[in-house]
Amino acid sequence: MDALLTMPLFWAMLTIAFFLLGQKLYAALGNSAFAPPILTGLVLVVLTLHLTGTSFEQYMEGGQYLHLMLGPVVVMLAVPLYQFFHAIRKDAVRIFLAVALGSGVTVGVAVALTIWWVADHTVVASVAAKSVTTAVAVVLTEEMGGIAALASVCVMITGFAGVVVIPPLLRAAKLDQPKSMGLSLGVCAHAIGTSYALEMGEEQAAYSAMAMTLTATLHAIVLPLII
Amino acid sequence: MNGFFILLVFLVLGGALQIWLDLPVPASITGMLLLLGYLVIRGKVPESLTRITTVLSPLLPLFIIPVSAGIITQEELLADHGIALVVILIISLVPGALVTAFIMSWGRKS
Repeated sequence: MDALLTMPLFWAMLTIAFFLLGQKLYAALGNSAFAPPILTGLVLVVLTLHLTGTSFEQYMEGGQYLHLMLGPVVVMLAVPLYQFFHAIRKDAVRIFLAVALGSGVTVGVAVALTIWWVADHTVVASVAAKSVTTAVAVVLTEEMGGIAALASVCVMITGFAGVVVIPPLLRAAKLDQPKSMGLSLGVCAHAIGTSYALEMGEEQAAYSAMAMTLTATLHAIVLPLII
Repeated sequence: MNGFFILLVFLVLGGALQIWLDLPVPASITGMLLLLGYLVIRGKVPESLTRITTVLSPLLPLFIIPVSAGIITQEELLADHGIALVVILIISLVPGALVTAFIMSWGRKS
């Protein structure tokens, strides 16, 4: 058993296995926004590390091979972004304003509250990327001197909270037209919001995916300049 | 493989620019913006890039798991600030969602 635990590729293999399991679970639950494969995979990896007493450094000797793919995958986000630019020409100014101001406000409030309540620069730098889809949040946080893992967890919590809070909030405020709902979910709850928006309808999902990509790009450029 | 090669070329370009120009923006983000510029100039997405996007997109979360597992090294921080962070994250959603939805629906009938 020890031989396995010190074999780097064993951990890479196990991570893929847990992720595939997560995909199965996600499908079995009817693509529920509350069971994204990344959460299942992450929980299983963390549990395994705990149970076997394996250190994160040891795990990363294998995990780094998967981590390495994050770079190309972030570059790849240019493709959906380009396709959205094409699809939304006529409403572009309004959408850009809604995304820029909406995401600016939610991050501004979060950062201000964190500075006041937690007062720790690495935590602030990790919270700042909370509305950014996880892949971008991770590379961004590493650049800003935050803790990438903490950013990733903040992003996930934001996503789940957004899916719970935003739909009833917008309905109560009578701002729940499909485009507004989709955009808000994408701005505040990124990929988890988008997966939830898919259950509401195509228009919501398209606007959510677009808002998520725009927010990620905008924040990736602006946040490192501020934080 | 052509599609993956394109991604790596732009990633390396982004990394080189980051070093030469001392950019605060991560290499992969610069690479993404350069690729976006390339696509805008070209006017369409190369077939090979579309194909690699279809293959890699569903795997995206997999590549985030390793670094996220680093949360096991942050037990102390979570014990100290975990609850504060959850509260902050939930509160900050409200103004963000309202502002976004308000701008999106302002001056239009539903």
